[in-house]
Amino acid sequence: MMAELVIYNTVGFPDPETFFKFVQGACSYVDALELGIPPKFAKYDGPTIRRSYVAVAGTDYMNLLSNVKCRAIALTYLDGLDLEKFLEMVRCTKAVMFPDLLIDHMNRLEEVTEAVKKMSLKNVIFISPSVPDTIIKSASRFADEFVYLGIRPATGVPTPVNVTKLVKRVRVIVDGKLIVGFGLKDNEEIAQAIEGGADGVAVGTSVMKVLEERGESEAIEAVRRLKEYVDSL
Amino acid sequence: MEVPSRWYNIIPDLPLPLPPPVDPPDRDSSSIELLNQILPVEVIRQQFSADRWIDIPDEIKELYKNFGRPTPLLRARRLEEKINTKSKIFFKYEGALPTGSHKLNAAIPQAYYAKKDGIESVITETGAGQWGAAVSLAARTVGIKSTVFMVRSSYDQKQQRRYLMEMYGARVIPSPSTTTAFGRSVHGSGSGSLGIAMSEAIEYALKTGAKYLVGSVLEVVLMYQSIIGLEVIGQLNEIGEEPDVLIGCVGGGSNFAGFTYPFIGSNAKGRFIAVGPAEVPKFSSGKYRYDFPDTAEILPLIKMITLGADFEPPPIYSGGLRYHGVAPTLSMLIQQEKVSSREYGEKISAEAAKMFAETQGIVPALESSHAVAAAIDEAKAADMRGTSSVIVFNMSGHGLLELDNYMKIYGDR
Ligand SMILES: Cc1ncc(COP(=O)(O)O)c(C=O)c1O
Repeated sequence: MMAELVIYNTVGFPDPETFFKFVQGACSYVDALELGIPPKFAKYDGPTIRRSYVAVAGTDYMNLLSNVKCRAIALTYLDGLDLEKFLEMVRCTKAVMFPDLLIDHMNRLEEVTEAVKKMSLKNVIFISPSVPDTIIKSASRFADEFVYLGIRPATGVPTPVNVTKLVKRVRVIVDGKLIVGFGLKDNEEIAQAIEGGADGVAVGTSVMKVLEERGESEAIEAVRRLKEYVDSL
Repeated sequence: MEVPSRWYNIIPDLPLPLPPPVDPPDRDSSSIELLNQILPVEVIRQQFSADRWIDIPDEIKELYKNFGRPTPLLRARRLEEKINTKSKIFFKYEGALPTGSHKLNAAIPQAYYAKKDGIESVITETGAGQWGAAVSLAARTVGIKSTVFMVRSSYDQKQQRRYLMEMYGARVIPSPSTTTAFGRSVHGSGSGSLGIAMSEAIEYALKTGAKYLVGSVLEVVLMYQSIIGLEVIGQLNEIGEEPDVLIGCVGGGSNFAGFTYPFIGSNAKGRFIAVGPAEVPKFSSGKYRYDFPDTAEILPLIKMITLGADFEPPPIYSGGLRYHGVAPTLSMLIQQEKVSSREYGEKISAEAAKMFAETQGIVPALESSHAVAAAIDEAKAADMRGTSSVIVFNMSGHGLLELDNYMKIYGDR
């Protein structure tokens, strides 16, 4: 089976127009777009994504999201979030993910995933290497979209980690689809994630940097090349 | 009993996911990125590893052996007699290591991995000097240089500890110093603090490309200390004992975690008691929240039980217990009531230390004396209940280089 490619960007980054052009172009190469909505506290994000949250503040997120034609996954953090309002805003997407759900809001797992389903949305369950085996097992049952393994403690900060090993450990526990991301830094690491048993990879910071510095056509080209690479594995 | 060949990492066996370190929200730079620059590569990899077991490289095992591992597990029979208890009291004696405390267990691997990175020198800070001495010896044995920023008040008072580091070949700089920009900015403002010394050490590491070694709190440091508990499991097995209570003192949490996690992770029966100082009441007054591990607010935020990074500890003699927080995994285990905690004041602890010296001959480090006090109380409580317990505590270090402190507590007789 071919590995999937998920691309992350913050909604409206770097500006609404460029964002829209990028999304239109990138959609044909990706299996899903992960779209970040600025949270109160960008807990697990590195400097690039943190800056993007500041850059898009005040944008009409709902309007931008409703114009995204490919499979979109909305992402934000639960701390200080009005869940109902948020789900209302992202109801035109396909699924949602809260990276801090298991880590700081474990007691709300059922409530949150239930509320998501009620809006006819699907759940992506985010886990990190620090999630214990027992909880990976029990919580991954709530993932009706996929399980997302964030490989590093912060996005875009290349702490040395053994990607293959971290993925293998989770692979034997998770039965369903497993996407790996959060700081994959280059093609080599993408290959390591797939080798470890991931069904797909998610890439964010590296494409966002191209988008910010060189515009949407080069960023779309970067996504196309990523797709080509992932397909070749 | 052999030296164990693997360290134990409790992360995959915790009751809940461990909240990761995060960058301070209001900054453009990344403090997590900073760790990349200052820590040895393998140390970071292990810090973020989810493997339950991590092989100890042969060279490190050899060094552990060379310096006296496994350390003895001893029964404190004379203490038992003195307090007239039916319980058995055992203690793991980390003071048997050459620098006098468990700190060497974590210094050796970090120095070893720094050398692997092709680095020629390592930097750290030290308060009373336990950690600094361990780093100095570890660096010397793997064949690299070490620089230790030592809190100025200790530098002046603890001449023997300072000289021990220098004997191992370390360069010891009193902090605040004029060596770093941060040191110069606070120079002349008195006797210094661990926070200032740490800031100087990190700045100096960044400037010189040396690696920075961490003495406690980080999960990877707790993992290196797991050698203690793994040995105890083997040693208790050999004598056919199963512990009812395990006790250790807590500064940042490294000796307590190293001692108990191999038991906790394997769901061993028994209770686990973390003991802190009443003067730094983190267990009774601390909050479980994200906070800076360092007073200088350079490192990433971690979620822990904390009195606040700006907490100013009173000048108690147990320098190693003055820390404002508790390592993240230990904080969680306390929150989840897998580990219970209590606090003893310095007077009570010192009394226990004196009784221990009179009966067992060993003068405990003032930090470790808190564990002694708790062990005695547990034995008495078991007698009150009419039961007998197997009590095991970790004697994290000896106090022979702190006799001046005992002298101040008891007066020079
Ligand atoms: C002998 C001794 N015990 C205990 C501690 C407390 O540290 P930790 O809680 O990390 O073991 C120290 C720290 O300096 C120490 O020197």
